Amino acid sequence: MTTDVVVLPSTLALLPEYASAADPVADLRAACDDAVLWLMDRHPDRVTVVTAEARADNVTRGVTEPAGARVGRHLLAGFGGRVEVVSGAPSSSEAGLLVVANGSAVRDAKAPGHLDERSFAFDAVIEAALRTGDAEALRGLDAELGASLWAHDVPALQALGACVRGPVDAVVTYADDPYGVQYWVARWTCEP
Amino acid sequence: MTLKLGRHEFTDDATLMMAIVNRTPDSFYDKGATWAEDKAFDRVGRAVDEGAEIVDIGGIKAAPGEEIDAAEERRRVVGFVGRVRAAYPDLVISVDTWRSEVGRAVCAEGADVLNDAWGGADPGLVDVAAEFDAAIICTHTGGVTPRTRPFRIEYADVVGSAIADTTAYAARAVAAGVDPRGVVIDPAHDFGKNTFHSLELTRRLGEMTATGWPVLVSLSNKDFVGETLDLPVGDRLTGTLAATAVCALAGARIYRVHEVVETRQVVDMVSSIAGRRPPQRAIRGLA
Repeated sequence: MTTDVVVLPSTLALLPEYASAADPVADLRAACDDAVLWLMDRHPDRVTVVTAEARADNVTRGVTEPAGARVGRHLLAGFGGRVEVVSGAPSSSEAGLLVVANGSAVRDAKAPGHLDERSFAFDAVIEAALRTGDAEALRGLDAELGASLWAHDVPALQALGACVRGPVDAVVTYADDPYGVQYWVARWTCEP
Repeated sequence: MTLKLGRHEFTDDATLMMAIVNRTPDSFYDKGATWAEDKAFDRVGRAVDEGAEIVDIGGIKAAPGEEIDAAEERRRVVGFVGRVRAAYPDLVISVDTWRSEVGRAVCAEGADVLNDAWGGADPGLVDVAAEFDAAIICTHTGGVTPRTRPFRIEYADVVGSAIADTTAYAARAVAAGVDPRGVVIDPAHDFGKNTFHSLELTRRLGEMTATGWPVLVSLSNKDFVGETLDLPVGDRLTGTLAATAVCALAGARIYRVHEVVETRQVVDMVSSIAGRRPPQRAIRGLA
């Protein structure tokens, strides 16, 4: 059976409660919307949102839902099918997968986590994997290194890598780091 | 409430800057700076560049002074309204007049709003607004004669009086056929009021906005600011903006101003604090 995957970032700027008059992530949002429409069209019955766990510091402030879950639910707001949200491996091999994850947030001096030169190599590995459909590379990501580079969603990418085995038809429709945070929007069609 | 100012409509959450344009030789703030028609026309252009949605053109200063009859008032404003209309088709043109015959002439030239700063002194003004589908500003003056200064005027409840009079005026306008979307109320700071009255109207402006009628405030550089801070005309911008912020928090919709840019910033900032306007562009902490 073939399933389909969309990967997009967990940026809070996509959420309506943080909307500005002038959208600071307009291009990213357009790419996300296109990709999610593509996914919903191919899996009208069921989409699983795959996220990392809620960040521990936010949990201590009372926010227990992962940012990725909120972003995923928001982007799927018009979806008529069933939406499941998991932190880790998805339970169904039939659902379309919406993996909410981005790269590091330390890519320049004005980035949220300031500049960490290790970010470029780290993000390059993820981007190459997304572009080539390399599930194994995602499985092998170092979550601890990711967290040190403010890439907190690595477990979601690892979960994607763990549930995809077959050949992957991959395309990346957006790749940029406009605020020193690495975003991708990617579409995979693959053998689960 | 959705605003319809003549041919222009604005959404429920829009706040509007109304720039004062005096075709007078003796108004208190600019002291005749735009008395020459070309100077007044330049002032309109500057106000538009600064983002004003409305200009309020007046031919008679509010304070007592030389008698200006209707013929002279018409000479000052009617042709000028036509010139502004032709040059700025998207601009809302308001005319500050209490006289229905002047109102009729300026509406024929394309005015969108009749700003009756003297609170219904000429009862025929609403009929002109209805005839031309113009908006009307219903102000509270406590019943004083136009161009008189307040002297020992007192109110049992100045806010209650302002609400009662302006909403009665609004109802009269609607009954005369004015589109309800084009009826605005104005407590008229300093008109028929001392400084304590104007301060109380500012403090309790939320009671006026709670009526549901859109509220205009005219605070700019007025004497209640000057007396409160003991500052002359020319040094009252900060005090004006403080009063503006309080009125913005209470939900005033239209701000009649000399300084468009500064007022717009204050109103936008307060509107965002109040949760009525999104930030222009927020990404800090959200990327």
